[in-house]
Amino acid sequence: MTASDKSAAAAPAPKKDDAAAKGDSPAPDAAKGAAAADGKKKTADGQPVVPEEDELSEEDQQLKSELELLVERLKNGSNPALHKPSLESLRTLIRTSTSSMTSVPKPLKFLRSHYPSLIALYNTWPESRAEKKPFADILSVLAMSYAGDDKRESLNYRLRGAGESPGLWGHEYVRHLASEIIDEYDARINAALAANPEAPIDKKALQADMMPLAMELVPFFLQHNAEADACDLLLELEALENLIPLVTKETAARICLYIVSCVSYVAPPDDMAILQTAHAIYRSQNQMPQALQVALRMNHIGLVREDFEACEDPVLKRQLAYMLARQGVPVDTDDETLTEILSQSHLHQHFASLARDLDVVEPKHPDDVYKRHLENLGPRGGMGGHVDSARQNLASTYVNAFVNAGFGSDKLMLPEDSQWIYKNKEHGMMAATASLGALHLWNVEMGLSAIDKYLYSEDEHIKAGALFAIGMVTANVRNESDPALALLQDYVTDAKPSLRVAAVAAMGIAYAGTARQEVLDLLLPLVSDTAVDMEVASLAALSLGMVYVGRVNGDIIDAILQTLMERDAAALAHVFAPFMGAGLAYLFLGKGEAVDATLETLKTVESALARQIAVLAETMAYMGTGNVLKVQKMLSLCTDHLDGEKQDDQFQAMAVLGIALIASGEDIGTEMALRSFNHLMHYGEPVIRRAVPLATAFLYASNPQVHVVEVLSKHSHDNDPEVSMNAIVAMGIVGAGTNNARLAQMMRQLAAYYHKEPNHLFLVRIGQGLIHAGKGTLTLNPWHAHRMLVSPTALVGLVTTLLAFTDAKALILGRAHYFLYHLVTALYPRFLVTLDADLQPLPATVRVGTAVETVGQAGRPKTITGFQTHSTPVLMGQSERAELASDEYLPLTSILEGVVILKKNPEWEPEDVEMVAK
Amino acid sequence: MGQGQSSPFGPGGNNPKDKKDEKNEKKKWEPPVPTRVGKKKKKHGGPDTAFKLPPVYPTTRCKLKLLKNERIKDYLLMEEEFVINQERLKPLEERAQEERARVEELRGSPMHVGTLEEIIDDEHAIVSASTGPEFYVSIASFVDKDLLEPGCSILMNHKVLSVVGVLADDADPMVSVMKLEKAPTESYADVGGLDQQVQEIKEAVELPLTHPELYEEMGIKPPKGVILYGPPGTGKTLLAKAVANQTSATFLRIVGSELIQKYLGDGPKLVRELFRVAEENAPSIVFIDEIDAVGTKRYDATSGGEREIQRTMLELLNQLDGFDSRGDVKVIMATNRIESLDPALIRPGRIDRKIEFPLPDIKTKRRVFNIHTGRMNLGDDVNLEEFIMAKDDLSGADIKAICTEAGLMALRERRMKVVADDFKKAKDKVLYRKKEGVPEGLYL
Repeated sequence: MTASDKSAAAAPAPKKDDAAAKGDSPAPDAAKGAAAADGKKKTADGQPVVPEEDELSEEDQQLKSELELLVERLKNGSNPALHKPSLESLRTLIRTSTSSMTSVPKPLKFLRSHYPSLIALYNTWPESRAEKKPFADILSVLAMSYAGDDKRESLNYRLRGAGESPGLWGHEYVRHLASEIIDEYDARINAALAANPEAPIDKKALQADMMPLAMELVPFFLQHNAEADACDLLLELEALENLIPLVTKETAARICLYIVSCVSYVAPPDDMAILQTAHAIYRSQNQMPQALQVALRMNHIGLVREDFEACEDPVLKRQLAYMLARQGVPVDTDDETLTEILSQSHLHQHFASLARDLDVVEPKHPDDVYKRHLENLGPRGGMGGHVDSARQNLASTYVNAFVNAGFGSDKLMLPEDSQWIYKNKEHGMMAATASLGALHLWNVEMGLSAIDKYLYSEDEHIKAGALFAIGMVTANVRNESDPALALLQDYVTDAKPSLRVAAVAAMGIAYAGTARQEVLDLLLPLVSDTAVDMEVASLAALSLGMVYVGRVNGDIIDAILQTLMERDAAALAHVFAPFMGAGLAYLFLGKGEAVDATLETLKTVESALARQIAVLAETMAYMGTGNVLKVQKMLSLCTDHLDGEKQDDQFQAMAVLGIALIASGEDIGTEMALRSFNHLMHYGEPVIRRAVPLATAFLYASNPQVHVVEVLSKHSHDNDPEVSMNAIVAMGIVGAGTNNARLAQMMRQLAAYYHKEPNHLFLVRIGQGLIHAGKGTLTLNPWHAHRMLVSPTALVGLVTTLLAFTDAKALILGRAHYFLYHLVTALYPRFLVTLDADLQPLPATVRVGTAVETVGQAGRPKTITGFQTHSTPVLMGQSERAELASDEYLPLTSILEGVVILKKNPEWEPEDVEMVAK
Repeated sequence: MGQGQSSPFGPGGNNPKDKKDEKNEKKKWEPPVPTRVGKKKKKHGGPDTAFKLPPVYPTTRCKLKLLKNERIKDYLLMEEEFVINQERLKPLEERAQEERARVEELRGSPMHVGTLEEIIDDEHAIVSASTGPEFYVSIASFVDKDLLEPGCSILMNHKVLSVVGVLADDADPMVSVMKLEKAPTESYADVGGLDQQVQEIKEAVELPLTHPELYEEMGIKPPKGVILYGPPGTGKTLLAKAVANQTSATFLRIVGSELIQKYLGDGPKLVRELFRVAEENAPSIVFIDEIDAVGTKRYDATSGGEREIQRTMLELLNQLDGFDSRGDVKVIMATNRIESLDPALIRPGRIDRKIEFPLPDIKTKRRVFNIHTGRMNLGDDVNLEEFIMAKDDLSGADIKAICTEAGLMALRERRMKVVADDFKKAKDKVLYRKKEGVPEGLYL
């Protein structure tokens, strides 16, 4: 053990060997240089270099001579009887040697000089000799440290050897073999490609001889806590399915965690293979929640249904239903309880119990959020005489709607004698009425009764608002009686444009993600009829896109494409026209190549709009994949400097949003995209710069990381007013529902700063409302379940609002501020609620802390850090995770988010009770 | 408008004509940069961190790590492509040049150096010139206000004395002296024997910096530091030098006595600075020789000086294993009086490994002799075994002294060879000197 270092330290010559043999030498370059220089200096001086033998300690000397003797005996052909014992003692010597962590074991070092002659000797032995196989084994081990990197002799001799378990030679040897197998396989594939690029490669045949060996290595890795190595080997050999039978209960979690984390980083066909393997492993281990999770990630409805049906435990099935409900996947079932869970009709109750528990039931006035008294307006105070009071009231309406969303009580709209609606004008009245929908979010019965009286209002705007409110109330929840469809369908064809707009938009919000045929039948005529106003037609397309998100519905695609071709240029230049494209794009969410045909068709459309739509559709199709090629394409679209006056440059804004959409979902892509945005801000034209804050907001929705907030805060003072406006909104979205004090203070500073700019001030107020959305209990981030799944309805809601901000002046700051209400489909409580088997609330103590990356770590690493212990229901941030604090209960799913059912741990023994008994 | 204070400098160099036009048509709010004056920003936070590369987990070698790193590479390549394209389309260099020239112009020349006394608001401050008087002046808008803090050195315009720049105040010059610019020539090859010690120090200090994944795989935290102890002349400092020679990490060396300073609080401050520099230049190795100068056991000290030394040690304790986590900073200490050290200093967690350097045994002595005589011309009659086998307590340093002394003897007699006699005399001389101080047989 010590002498290997000793000889390395004492004599320059072996030291160089050492460094070379190690391959990944631990010594830094300087050290090698110094060693080399040392060697040179001595010889240059003409001084005798001390022979290496002299430096060896006695034991080493003895070992060396023993080895040499054995080698001599092998070489000596006269006495073949001695060969077998010599080989055996050689083997024992090599196996029993140990070394420090990074140096080569001594026997290997001493045998180096004999390696070539041993190979020659091996080749002279006849194949029939019994000793030849053990000899090959020894050569295989020796080759590990001497042969060049690309020769793969180790593997070569291993395959000719006796086939003993490779684990006997130690861990390093096994790893080395694994890497040689991978190299060899790559080399063979490349050779096959080079020989005949056309012919399909028979991959199985190429690896046939190595596969048995690989399958010998994998169990060894699994036994020795090196799951990552096992998975790597099989991934490289494209034979991951072989892993499934080898997985045990203990290793399943670690293996699946590892391979699922790889999914975001491998090229398309492999990612599905990995997910399928993970799914099969979870199924074989009977871990249904995780299996379902993976099936959802695959976006494979058939598999999801199968998992759901396959679950026999009724309680567990309820848990699965909660998971499906969060993802918004409709599954038919006869069970009444399950149907209720799937329709999310309990959501408002859980939310209300959270609110009670956190003591935030008390409604908040917008002024409580603005905290005007903290705004430092300087000597003249806030008496900006020409502040647009209509704008301010409109802002208050939205802030009120967001802050009290889902609570069913507020201080503006719901008090008996409220006159708030009449303090607004026209479309302001619509927004005010519509806010009722947000206030009663998820609570269909209460909401409808509150909205009802406004439905019969004479005023067109109030009525429109009421229609909108109906849509919002039913967002993300299903109801048997289907009130939204019943109430809205008559107005879709109403003569008054404002009513039609409201009804169509509300339809989209109410049925987002449900793929309801009735909605299709109602709205499709509006899209294809060229006589319909562009605003209505575009919104109809948008709503259809939201309802059929990710379903690639041929009828809708055809209708939208048809309209794009038939409408005249003026119609396609309409401010609302991009939303028609958005509707088209949503249909392809996460569908990858399915979008290609449509992209081709769009190329034939002679309009600037088509290009914009094509970019959006492509990004949607590859959303969350992290596909680098697509990101590259989007970046290259942003390269050109176009003059917005003469050419259409709006597609560049879509491309910027596209980068965020594609890169979201994994941490590396998210952070690297943020870096790219820095460059875009630096070099880009105004249209790009305006989109950058929005894209940032998407990446970090409800996730106020300090550095992101700082960047946005910088942009909120940009010279271009539209950049600063978007940055302000982005700050709101980044902090949405977090009550982040830092952001709140920045917003107050911005309010003081822009108190003369009505547009900016309006958006600052909206931003403040978003930060305090649901009094700090909601999230806008579409990613959930430890950032593994993306909720399509949340995504389309958020993206629609962001799209509206790409042309903020015409839309949000004009009449179409109702696009802000599309955010309600993205709103979801950021809670953890624990229930017992009968779905009654069951308070349990949980620890909530910042999530820690645990992939591929040794032992049982902690999953959270800096935690605090709470009793459920409890709030969780975007980058936080929870775990149960005591063993009293076992969760039915490993992902503690949203609604989780607990069951009693049969092995748990209450400590306190015993104490009392004593 | 609202902030219409008279300022000698237009914010950001707006030219006055534009401003007038704006005022006429619409009173435009001029957006200044948001500031956080007076709090010097720490390394964390701030927009700059947004543009650092993301960390990659897991740290063990596996495909996932490779894939993640490749992903980062892909993004960087895309960034490069984008930036190159942009530079080709619209050379930024010219614009930057122009802007730089403008800033230079605004700064004026020559500039004065002054001290910032107090910050009044975002744009005004009280400064004192080097000559003494204090002035109320404005701060130019292009000055990075995050760097301004009371007491820092600033550049001032020569006419109106406005603040036009900040002089970055660097680390304590004392600390920069400690940084080892030139690696020592001693390498592991010059260490005779001490195999165990070499291996232990390698495992504790070098490998955690070069191969962190080995520790990660094993699921242990690498040791934070080691202490080398043993009788004088057994190679403690030599081994530290060899470590410095071997590693490409920043090597900071300091002697315990250097930590004792004239003024109260200077010693602890130096320790803090030392570890701050070490962390900034991480991965780094801090070597504190003769730690017993500050690290002796605590007792009720009466004199201020003693107390100051103890406070210095307390700071050292805190830096070694305090509340803030040190990154890749390894500590090596050396002493020959480990029994007098404060137990808190060498508890595991602060110093995880204690490496003893005993007097050399026969094998080691032979190697040390070989190293020192390797370059000498020895006479044929020299039999080193005689000295090696002798029962005297020879340390490595003694052996070196014997060899040198023998060489000197030969030199005196103008011989080109060192003969056995020289060695004998040299040994007597060295051993005599060594025993001189010890009252022999006092306690017998």
